[in-house]
Amino acid sequence: MATTKLGFIVQRAGYKSENPKLAITHAISSQSVEIYLNDGDLVTADIAFVGDGVLNCIKNQKAMEKYGLSSTESHIKNSLLLDLNVMVCKEDLARFVLTEKDIVIDAAEFGAEMTAKVVPFSEITKMMEEMKHLLFF
Amino acid sequence: MKLAVFVSDFRNTVDTLDRLKAEKLGIIFVQNGVYHAAVKEKGKASPVLNAPADFYVLSDDLDTRGLGNADLADKVKIISYSDIVDLIFNEYEKTAWL
Repeated sequence: MATTKLGFIVQRAGYKSENPKLAITHAISSQSVEIYLNDGDLVTADIAFVGDGVLNCIKNQKAMEKYGLSSTESHIKNSLLLDLNVMVCKEDLARFVLTEKDIVIDAAEFGAEMTAKVVPFSEITKMMEEMKHLLFF
Repeated sequence: MKLAVFVSDFRNTVDTLDRLKAEKLGIIFVQNGVYHAAVKEKGKASPVLNAPADFYVLSDDLDTRGLGNADLADKVKIISYSDIVDLIFNEYEKTAWL
């Protein structure tokens, strides 16, 4: 039985490019590979928002209303619904004078039990060290 | 020259903006450029806002990113797409896109 750990690091602001949203899409899709795995094998995905990437987490995004696009906010909520570990860098939030109140923390309306965690960068570094594959977006 | 500059990115635009000279300069924040108008990095407003210009920000792009009036710097005016068209045709002679 083996677990393959994937770490998705989002370091850019969203919308100007699809990059950050793709990171989350890939993290979510990594959970659908079970048919290719041996019994008992697992693939886990952690997502960390760092640097300008924390701007993706600001809540009340209206991408669907304004442009007919699914918002990065909804992607983050979907990843919480799938119990992915979502981390947001505490220092980078503070750099933009943002707090937990300003960002997507849960997806209670979808029935998700998992919540995003605001953590020091040292904890994100620790997570990165534990990963088999790191993907930067 | 009356120049309207669309700032569409959050990084790598300040140096270029510094070099642009115009008799009348308008800076219109669109796409990820709206972060210049609404985010205070390390508690300080974006250096772009120090330019001698009139500042505008596209409301749709603010809303898309979860940003609103409360986040905006005082000197920035919120505008719509039709306001942008009016600015281009009535206020400025040239436009540039950064």
